[in-house]
Amino acid sequence: MISHTSPIVALAVRAVTPVALVVAAYVLFTGHNAPGGGFAAGLMLGAIIVLRTIAGISRPRGAPTWLAVGGGIVGAVAIAPLLWGEPLLDQVVVSWDVPVLGTVKTGSALLFDLGVVAVVVGLVIALLDGLDAGSLVDRGRPDDGARERSDRKVTGS
Amino acid sequence: MIWFLLALHAAVVVIVASIGAHVGRRVLWLAAIPMAATALWSITRLTSSSTVTATLDWVPGLGVNLEFRVDAMGSLLSVLVSGIGALVCVYAVGYFSAGAANMGRFAATLLAFSAAMVGLVWADSVWTLFIFWELTSITSFLLVGFKHTDPVARTAARRALVITAGGGLSLLAGFVFFVDAAGTARLSEITPITGSTATAAAILILVAAATKSAQFPFHVWLPGAMAAPTPVSAYLHSATMVKAGVILVAVIAPAFQDTGVWKPLGLAFGLTTMVWGAVGALRHVDAKLILAWGTVSQLGLLIALLAIGTPKATFAAISILVAHAVFKAALFMVVGEVDVRAGTRNINDLSGLRRSMPVTFVVAVVSGASMAGVPPLLGFPAKESAIEATLGLDGTEFLLVGGLIIAGSALTVAYTVRLLVGMFASSAPMIDREVAPRRLAMTSPEMILAGASFVGFVALGWVSDVVRSAVVTVAPKAEVYSLLRWPGLTDAFLISVGVVAVGVVFGALLARRRAVSGPVARGAANVDWSIDGVGRLARQVAARVQHGSLPLYLATMLLVVCVAAVPFVGAIDTATLYWWDNRAEAVLVLMIVATSVAATTVSSRLGAALVLGGVGFSVAGLFVAHGAPDLVLTQLLVETVIVVGFVVGLGRLATRFPTPTRLWFVGRIVLSAAAAAAVGLALAGGAGSQVGEAPIRDLAETAQTDGGGKNVVNVVLTDTRALDTLGEVIVLMVVSVGILTLSMRRRRDQGRDGTERVAS
Repeated sequence: MISHTSPIVALAVRAVTPVALVVAAYVLFTGHNAPGGGFAAGLMLGAIIVLRTIAGISRPRGAPTWLAVGGGIVGAVAIAPLLWGEPLLDQVVVSWDVPVLGTVKTGSALLFDLGVVAVVVGLVIALLDGLDAGSLVDRGRPDDGARERSDRKVTGS
Repeated sequence: MIWFLLALHAAVVVIVASIGAHVGRRVLWLAAIPMAATALWSITRLTSSSTVTATLDWVPGLGVNLEFRVDAMGSLLSVLVSGIGALVCVYAVGYFSAGAANMGRFAATLLAFSAAMVGLVWADSVWTLFIFWELTSITSFLLVGFKHTDPVARTAARRALVITAGGGLSLLAGFVFFVDAAGTARLSEITPITGSTATAAAILILVAAATKSAQFPFHVWLPGAMAAPTPVSAYLHSATMVKAGVILVAVIAPAFQDTGVWKPLGLAFGLTTMVWGAVGALRHVDAKLILAWGTVSQLGLLIALLAIGTPKATFAAISILVAHAVFKAALFMVVGEVDVRAGTRNINDLSGLRRSMPVTFVVAVVSGASMAGVPPLLGFPAKESAIEATLGLDGTEFLLVGGLIIAGSALTVAYTVRLLVGMFASSAPMIDREVAPRRLAMTSPEMILAGASFVGFVALGWVSDVVRSAVVTVAPKAEVYSLLRWPGLTDAFLISVGVVAVGVVFGALLARRRAVSGPVARGAANVDWSIDGVGRLARQVAARVQHGSLPLYLATMLLVVCVAAVPFVGAIDTATLYWWDNRAEAVLVLMIVATSVAATTVSSRLGAALVLGGVGFSVAGLFVAHGAPDLVLTQLLVETVIVVGFVVGLGRLATRFPTPTRLWFVGRIVLSAAAAAAVGLALAGGAGSQVGEAPIRDLAETAQTDGGGKNVVNVVLTDTRALDTLGEVIVLMVVSVGILTLSMRRRRDQGRDGTERVAS
């Protein structure tokens, strides 16, 4: 809706999207040794999705897919150790040498965090869906009648 | 072999369910295969003295395992269950019309029931028995409600489920007491137990058996279950499932013989049910209901015989159980065939089927005669052994128990005669009904079962051996008894003759008097009323509590917080309290207070949301002051998402808050202050009651060594306490699914409004 009055916002959101994606990826990978992690990365992506919705750039969609993928990854990482006779949620740490980055140490915890990212993103999209944010992108400002109706419903006092 | 047969059942259930829609009623042939295989295997084991066992550890810590043990009793019962099951499948092929819908579901549920029942009769551990017991209740519910578009069937299914599943709860409690008192969960290791725990177990288990085996006053579900297709009634509600209670009483009786309550309670259930069931059978005009009430009566007889507890009575009970399964299944099949071919089951409207359905007539007479206890059929020696067993009782016990059992037998003969005369004899106004042609798939199972009643009498020596080796597993002293083809002119035989004579006369008289309609099922109506009443009450409570006013929900939660904080007040230790760690905190707290106050006074919604974000960012500042970068990052991101989220959400609301009433305005202030004070006091109390060292040192070490990461917070989240994170992920997913469901529903409602508008 804001995009109808402000192309600047839309442009800014477009411009900031790739940066936010990179930062989110960074936060995810660095999480094991520095502040960050799956939840933070997921929220970062979520914030971008909300901003893009407000700016009228794209409809939020695919919440069930995100949730299913995230839940699947987390569940798989949780259960997989049982197949090798290890306790539930047991961690595997691997480290290998990569040309530019040097020695990279990572583990199944990263995969677990990846699942968390997907679930958080799914939740944010579901929330937007619940607020019927998609219609903002389609129609711009909702009509006054609808505003009055929902007003009465929610405040109630 | 046990695992193989059970797995075969499970596999075929899946196959049948998936191909049923394309194959139609012929899928029942496939469903009959596992049953036939089980029956054949069990037949080979009938008289063998060895047992086959199978065990699978499930929860070894609690001693809960899947344990099966197929002895002579298990083999006999699984021959009945699977053999009759296979015949019922064949019968059902003829019963359903060629284009009948949902055949896959029907066949799969029927086979699943059969598997559950086989598991039940083979179970050795009470826990295994309980699981299969409940499975039979559930499959029975599904089968009674098979015609799910029919409200009568739905109500009947619900009634059956509530009563039998309620009995299941009683059974579970009973088993817990039983295992506690007996010290073992194995049925094969039962020893007599006494004491108050044993008494409680005895009562609970008897009640459970009474619900399953339709004992008065729990019998009300069984006549209602006749809403199921007739193959189901023949199988579940006469031959097998309703016997589960009887079987349970038979196998567990040795444990409770010495508790004072077992015998009187069992006799009370059994005798009342036997008489009341027979009376019911004499009052109804629907042939299927006559049989259903007859089944109730017979189940009462079985429970009464088992409650007597002498080896002779137990032997008689198992004999009757076998004979009853054979003749009652055949009679139900006959009624189903009459229903399909003549179009009605009302004995007032039926007449003269003797000529138009000769094969069915013969089957009905043979099976009916077996039910009435007339030679040369299997029912005769079985009934004879029951009367013989009651003659062994002394004095008053004989007068009461024996008298009632003999009277019940006479009533059985009476309703048998009334049923047969009503359906097959010609009577004046309705001569020879037109009937549809015979279907071989229906007739052959009937003939096999009727033949079994006869062959069982001819080969009585073998039947007697089989029953004896089964009974010996629960009552070792029963090895001296056998079924006699011709007992001689004993007291029991003379009584039998008298019983049949009285019954025939009584039944013929009643058959002549045509009742207009059956009695009203008042008991069933009461049960339905109670079930509906619970639903009504729940709706009323929910409407009162879930009023839908968000401010009131919030107020309720805050009030609870205030009350919950009270115990903490006493725990405050003022010595541990100080103002700040560093001065910056003071500034930040001032910011928090200022923005909070601002949030309550701003009149624009968007403004309030932004100021609220300011509160959150100030809190993040507090985390910075304490050196917790992970918390800061998360807090900042959460606040950001919330603030932009508000922007989306507020787009639908008016830009300004509505003006509150004076009362609500003051109330809000009071409540907020109280909640704030409560949280503050609780935190202060918590600060003073630290127990032990903070685990940060351990965590920091294990993070490096086990988790392979330097960020302790993240290692805790993804490794050390990953289970907690998993739980949180699940919570997030549940919340998301909830939101999605709500918005989907709203969209559907909007869609409906839209179409209505178009229509008008």
